[in-house]
Amino acid sequence: MDKIKVTMTVNKKTVETEIEPYARLLDVLRDNFGFTGVKEGCGIGECGACTIIMNGKKVNSCMILAAQAQGSEILTIEGVENADGTMHPVQEAFLEKGAVQCGFCTPGMVISSYHLLNKNPEPTDLEIKEAISGNLCRCTGYKQIISAVHMAADNMKK
Amino acid sequence: MIRFDYIKPASLEECQELLNHYQGKARLFAGGTDLMVEFRADDKKLKDVEVVLDISNLSELKIIKLDEEVISIGSCATFTEIIGNQGLIKYAPFFVEACRTVGSPQIRNTGTIGGSIGTASPASDPGPPLVAMNSILTLLSSAGEREVLLSDFIVGAYKTIIKSNELIKSIKFKTLKPEAGFSFVKLGRRKALAIARMNVAAYVETGEDGTAKDVRIVPGSATPITIRITEAENMLLGKTPSYELHEAVGKKVSEKMIEITGTRWSTPYKEPVIASLVKRALNQATGVKENG
Repeated sequence: MDKIKVTMTVNKKTVETEIEPYARLLDVLRDNFGFTGVKEGCGIGECGACTIIMNGKKVNSCMILAAQAQGSEILTIEGVENADGTMHPVQEAFLEKGAVQCGFCTPGMVISSYHLLNKNPEPTDLEIKEAISGNLCRCTGYKQIISAVHMAADNMKK
Repeated sequence: MIRFDYIKPASLEECQELLNHYQGKARLFAGGTDLMVEFRADDKKLKDVEVVLDISNLSELKIIKLDEEVISIGSCATFTEIIGNQGLIKYAPFFVEACRTVGSPQIRNTGTIGGSIGTASPASDPGPPLVAMNSILTLLSSAGEREVLLSDFIVGAYKTIIKSNELIKSIKFKTLKPEAGFSFVKLGRRKALAIARMNVAAYVETGEDGTAKDVRIVPGSATPITIRITEAENMLLGKTPSYELHEAVGKKVSEKMIEITGTRWSTPYKEPVIASLVKRALNQATGVKENG
């Protein structure tokens, strides 16, 4: 099995590496590129801790081969912050509302919330629940997460 | 993790050539949501796989079209694409409802209808409505196309009759008649991300006199192969739908399930649950009140 060369844009920077053809995107993002904010919770597409945005779609990076990501545009938690390096309103709201407990689900939760607010600036509780339905929080702090998304939505309108 | 090479065919023709070349050692990769789990678990059934053929972006396999009262869905259409399709929402709403309950938004963004059919899980969500609509698959190989009823395609739990040089091109079914009632009900361990514990698709067409003319009842996760339970359907044919009748039909489905699977560790749970889900599905499909 020969290694494959792949090029992709991660958090607005073009990056290139050599990968095994069977490598998961999750592992390549973490090990080859150092984006360790992308977490492996279950590895079987159930928990959403490895959620990223790929070509505008929210996906589990444990369910994607790195080879599939050739030429794609990817956003991980590391790319969510504002251009000046300050926190994005979603990140600020998560801190403000105590929506982070153990923190393991947080990168995926933030990505799902960020993705939702980009499409829907004024989500209802139900829409927020639907948007984070692919992200499991074992600390069960969902209520704080939902309030944080509402708060971020308000702050983003200002 | 199972090790393999990766090829992304640029066209259906190239894909067929590769399938012929690798003779059973190539694995088609659509959404990957089942396969990635199996690769990671070093699943024995994949130990001979030498190469993965990534067909997820083959545009020929992503077409959803509606003509002459028939809907055809390309095998690599994702669940997100299906639940956003206006034609499907209008003409096959209980199928869309089932697809809406698959996995999570992330899974629905990559998982495909053809992948789901090819995996042939007894716990499939789209399976019951597709079987209830007597759906037909188009299989493609370098020898040409052939059509197979979905209910003949799946021959056991995770087993199909697909040949090593074939791929699922599309699935088609007739649009639902406006006078038909239908429903999809699902019981999962939790709301999101749940593989179906049990589900049921029901389809009932009633005549002008209010009696049932065409009945289709398909329980999911009840039997190794997702099938219509004709003995139960026959109880309703020619009768006026009612709570009591639906209750009896539900019990019949339960009996048939046990006849097919035998008594298993899960039977004490599944027996009353499937009876109740069938009753609920029929009530919903025919507009009968749930509390009797």
